Amino acid sequence: MHITRLSTHHFRNHRARDVTWSPHLNLITGPNGAGKTNLMDAVHYLCMSRSFVSSSDRYVVSEGESEFRIDGDFKGEIRSEFRVSCLYSRGEGKRIFVNDSPLDRISDLIGMVPVVVLSPEDRKLTAEGPSERRSFLDGLISQISSKYLHSLMKYRRIRKQRNRLLQEFEGSSQQLRSLLEPWDVQLVEEGSNIVARRYEVLSAFRQFLVDQFKALYEIDLQPDLTYQTFCEPGEDVAQIQQQYEKVLASSREKEFERGTTLVGPHRDEVVFYLGEMELRNYGSQGQHRLFSVALKLAQLFYYSNLLEDDPIMLLDDVFGNLDRQKTTILLDTLQKHPGQILITSASEAPFRELSATPGSELLWYRLEDGELIEK
Amino acid sequence: MQITSEALERAVEQLAKLPGTGRKSARRIAMYLLKQNKEAVFELADALKELKTSVIRCSQCGTVSDTDPCRICGSPKRSAHQICVVEEFQDVYFIEKTNEFRGRYHVLGGVISPMENIGPDNIRIKELIERVGESGEEIREVILALNPDAEGEATAYYIHKLLKPFDVEVTRIAYGIPMGSDLEYIDEATLSRAFASRNAI
Ligand SMILES: [Zn+2]
Repeated sequence: MHITRLSTHHFRNHRARDVTWSPHLNLITGPNGAGKTNLMDAVHYLCMSRSFVSSSDRYVVSEGESEFRIDGDFKGEIRSEFRVSCLYSRGEGKRIFVNDSPLDRISDLIGMVPVVVLSPEDRKLTAEGPSERRSFLDGLISQISSKYLHSLMKYRRIRKQRNRLLQEFEGSSQQLRSLLEPWDVQLVEEGSNIVARRYEVLSAFRQFLVDQFKALYEIDLQPDLTYQTFCEPGEDVAQIQQQYEKVLASSREKEFERGTTLVGPHRDEVVFYLGEMELRNYGSQGQHRLFSVALKLAQLFYYSNLLEDDPIMLLDDVFGNLDRQKTTILLDTLQKHPGQILITSASEAPFRELSATPGSELLWYRLEDGELIEK
Repeated sequence: MQITSEALERAVEQLAKLPGTGRKSARRIAMYLLKQNKEAVFELADALKELKTSVIRCSQCGTVSDTDPCRICGSPKRSAHQICVVEEFQDVYFIEKTNEFRGRYHVLGGVISPMENIGPDNIRIKELIERVGESGEEIREVILALNPDAEGEATAYYIHKLLKPFDVEVTRIAYGIPMGSDLEYIDEATLSRAFASRNAI
């Protein structure tokens, strides 16, 4: 799957007019602050319905405007050609159109054009709290399974309703229990589906991570990840449900006290290791950086292996932080990969050799003073 | 800007409050009405007044009606053995359109949702249980036609549990539809298939 054309209107500070893209390598260079990331973010919007930089749609509207619009033409193997449009206005919120007909739910967009992003934001993925890794995991699975995405959304809703009951109910604990039951049943059902799928995907994903990390890192250290939840690996959905019911029952008193749901996939953790060492606490800065590069490459190849169509890979401002040797390895990997890749960089140095390689379908843009010029 | 007619502005303001109408289309409707003859506009005004004065709720099923019991509850042609439980009265309309169901309805007037402070006592669950209890053996099947979202399913579960002591079969319509869709958006064919293939819970 690849994007062939992109237009943006009132989207951040730079307007894109019918920018065309190569199905393979695309490079945008230019000084910092020129708007390179905006182009990547616009593509990300058309794949995931949201920004990978900003937390809210409000922040990406051009200053002084109240709405933005992004249009992109895509081409793939299964679905030959189609257009995705994202419209946002302060009053009406966000709407997504596919070939000019509106989607009932914005979430229906997810998975239509799978995307993988590698950006400086990924620092959080290995260094910060468990919620960062949970959202990586959820993004990883949601793009290949709409069933998972629906389970996730439903689980979130059930948990909110349940928390409200736990917080606000005034009455006997017997009454509360009978009011909780319709939510508990659903919590266990959807929660167990989520856990089962996370186990399944991570066990396959793990090998991709190991391969990518080893290719990048010269020192012989075995990378690994473990998934920690309320049950043990290797259980089927029925067993997971049983275990969930059990832990939910045993934490009931505590839940009444604290007024919130205390067990379930929303408390899961993914731990990254290098050898015996837990990356988050003991990894060096360089190891963190390489690990997140490996994670995203693993996501790319995991998708490529699974899906009919290659995903779109976005690498935003990544090359400035890698040494020469890692840069060469990464570029070599990307060049051999047949899918579409969009790269932004302030420095041009890493790509000079690449542009000289015969047969590489490289499209190189320079973004300066708001103008996008083909090099 | 100089307003030339207060009455026109007032009509635009009222029309703009309707769902799906912005100020622009409200103005277009007001202008259209102005151009119509008096009788047509008065008829519309009367119909709107009637809506609030004559439309009542059926005391049995809770749907909107201008008679009590409503035409469905009062009809001898409708089976008294089956009750179809729906969230809102407009769902009765959608299901009726399919011509698939020949029993009677029970409109809950909402679903359980703690976030909106709606508990089982705030919707017509008690009335449903009473209806089943008082009917003796007459009601044989309760069909739950609630949306398959978290709130719809919680409500279905709750009702199912309360109905357990009674000798009544509880079924729910099967959805051949994407999860999370509302009854309102399902086409008739799908909805009538869903009815035909309802299953026991
Ligand atoms: Zn009635």
